[in-house]
This record gives sequence, structure tokens and C-alpha cells, in this order.
Amino acid sequence: MKQWIGVAARLIVGLVDLAAGISKFPDPAGNVRQVRAFDLLPEAVVPAVGHALPTVEILIGALLVLGLLTRATAVVATLFFVAFIVGIAAAWARGMEINCGCFGSHGVPADPQRQYAIDIARDVALLICSVWLVAWPRTRLALDNVLFPHHERLADGEGSEEAVED
Amino acid sequence: MAKDPKKQSKTERAQALLREQQRRERMRNLLVVGAVVVAVAIIAGVMFAVQSNKDTTGKAVGAGGTPNNLTGDYNVVIGKSSAPTTIKVYEDLQCPICDDFEKAAGAQMQQAIADGKIKVDYHMVAFLDRASTTQYSSRALNAAMAVLSTAGTDAFLKFHTIAYDNQPAEGSAGVPDSTLIDWAVQAGADKTTVTPLINDNTYHQWVVNATDQMSKDGVNGTPTIYIDGKDQGTNWSVAAQNVLKAIGS
Repeated sequence: MKQWIGVAARLIVGLVDLAAGISKFPDPAGNVRQVRAFDLLPEAVVPAVGHALPTVEILIGALLVLGLLTRATAVVATLFFVAFIVGIAAAWARGMEINCGCFGSHGVPADPQRQYAIDIARDVALLICSVWLVAWPRTRLALDNVLFPHHERLADGEGSEEAVED
Repeated sequence: MAKDPKKQSKTERAQALLREQQRRERMRNLLVVGAVVVAVAIIAGVMFAVQSNKDTTGKAVGAGGTPNNLTGDYNVVIGKSSAPTTIKVYEDLQCPICDDFEKAAGAQMQQAIADGKIKVDYHMVAFLDRASTTQYSSRALNAAMAVLSTAGTDAFLKFHTIAYDNQPAEGSAGVPDSTLIDWAVQAGADKTTVTPLINDNTYHQWVVNATDQMSKDGVNGTPTIYIDGKDQGTNWSVAAQNVLKAIGS
């Protein structure tokens, strides 16, 4: 059961990250402006972060969808969602009117307050999925199972019921 | 501890065998992890390089790539210097809300400029290239700058009005260069002078840098309107009303 919940968590976080990264990819200058809009990072690193964001999102998304290096990827995803939540909350708290830039840059939303709440709620949900995968990285339909086939037998001690289930 | 030495050595051998097998599996797993990590790192490096190369922001503008008749690096102030009120606008020619704002207050603003009541500090930007299939946003601004550069501020204002009156819908194919040239001529630019500037997208790098400057100015959307330095917020209709009030019309 846990392993199927893990599959769902992988697909939810993975597909959302893939969509976010792909929608950002065509407009690097826009991503840089979006990062700058949050006014949290020093200008010296803003362009690099803006250029790295879509790459990181696409790779996290792809690795999770494939179920490859699930735990390590989930750790990175967790850190990112914490950073996004902090960034959006900080913008909200300072009364800034910006778009989160989550799915590419589209200017300022009509109702920024409501948009902030929606963005944070979504990121919290994705954070929970990521934390689940950090805790229980072994899932069905994952490439990890092919690459590391003896993993479950070695870890007998902590996951015997899953081993039996197999 | 164990009473039977034979049995003990058997167990020990079995354990040693298991340990050896586990060690080999760990090594193999580490190698696989390492290989995957290296592969991911290479893909990441290539993707990052593609992103950085695509973004020409901040590159120096080449010779002849900066429009004439600007006031500052990335703005043009139009109006009598004695005008008591300054209105600063950040606008994108593809932005529909800018069009709403212009429909509500644009004509009155241009009249007030002529009457010496206000001066308007135009910061034109182009961040909506993705809203058309032909990068209309930046091409239109390039054309506007070609008009400003070769025909002056009055012609620029006329082009500005024509461009908003004929704004292509978001998600469309925009407007071809030939139409931009027609608009430029309508606004008062000389056809032979302005045609190569529009066809060659001469001011493109300036346009990219102007858009980056908006973000560095802390402006994150358009239209953003200031009246004597005071930000009028994100509601365009409130901003338009305040502008009309400031003009006194």
C-alpha cells in the first residue's frame, strides 16, 4: 500500500515539476526577472538562479517520474518547496504584488492575495508528497527497483512485510 | 562461547560469505548511483548552458543599437519641462491591460502634454514575447524606438496610439514587420529610413536591456503608473482615474 502511495507522490511531484520547468524553459530572461521580483537573493546570483531553475525542475520531475534515485531526488525537491514557500510567504508578508512565476512569467495576477494563498497551499501539498518519499522512497514501478534489485532483501530488517508481499 | 567448534566455523564462513556478498552489492550500487549522478550532472550542465546562452540580457548594445531622442538610458520624458506634474509609466505594447489604461486615459494624457499640464516619462518594455508566435512585443517596441529615433517624440506618441488601437490579441501571430512599417509611416517617420531599422530589429538588444532595467527598478508588471513618484498600484482603472484627476480633466 505504502509503495503505491509512493507512486502517486512521485507522479504528482514529478509531473508538476516537469510542467513548471518546461513552461519556464523558453524564457530565461523572464525567469531571471521573476527571481529578482522576490527581492530575496543578492543581485550577483539572481541570473544564475534564474537560469538554473527550469533545469533543476525538469530533472527533479524526470527523476521522480522514472523513480530514479528517489530518496535523494525527494530530498532536493523538499528543500526547493521549502524555499518556494518561504519566498512566496515573504513576498506576501511584505505586501508585494508579484506573480509567483511558478509556471512561467505572466505579470501580476488580478488578485495577488488570493493567488499567494493558492500558491502556498499547492507548495505545501507538494512538500508533503516529497517528505513522504524521503521517508518511504521504495515505490512500485520505479527504475530504482531494476537498478538496485537486492535492495529489499538487504533491508529485510526494516521492511520484512514488503518483502513478503513481493 | 560456542560449544561445537566445527559448527562455529561453518556459521562464521556463512557470515563471511554473506558479508562479502553484501560488500559487493554495496560497491555495485555505489557505481550505479555514481553513473546516474554523472549522467544527470552532464544533462544539467548542457541545459544550464542552453539557458544562459539564450539570455542575452545585459549584453552591450552595439554601435547604432541605441535609439536617439531618449531622455535617460531606457526612458523618454515627453512634455514641457515647466509642467507641474510628472507621470511615469511602464508599458508593454502587447499588454492588454496597458491597452485598457491607454483607452481610459491615453488621449487625455497626450492632450495634457500638449497643454503643458504634465510631462510623461515613458519606460517602454517588452516582456510579453511569449504572448505571440512572432515575438510581437519586442518587435513592436523596436519599431516604436525606430520612430522615436528618426522622427522624434510627437511621432513616437502617434505610433504609441496606433499600436494600442491595433493591438494584436495575446496568443495570436502578432503583426508583421510590414504593418509596423506602415504604422511608423502613418506616425510620421520616413519610410526609407525606418524600414531597415524595423526589418533588422536594430534596437533589439536595447529592448532586452530596457526590460531588464524595469525589473531592476523593482517594477514587476505593466502597466505600472506613478504620479509625481507615487505608485498607483496594480488596478489600472484606479490608476487611470487618478491620472485624469491629476490632469484635471
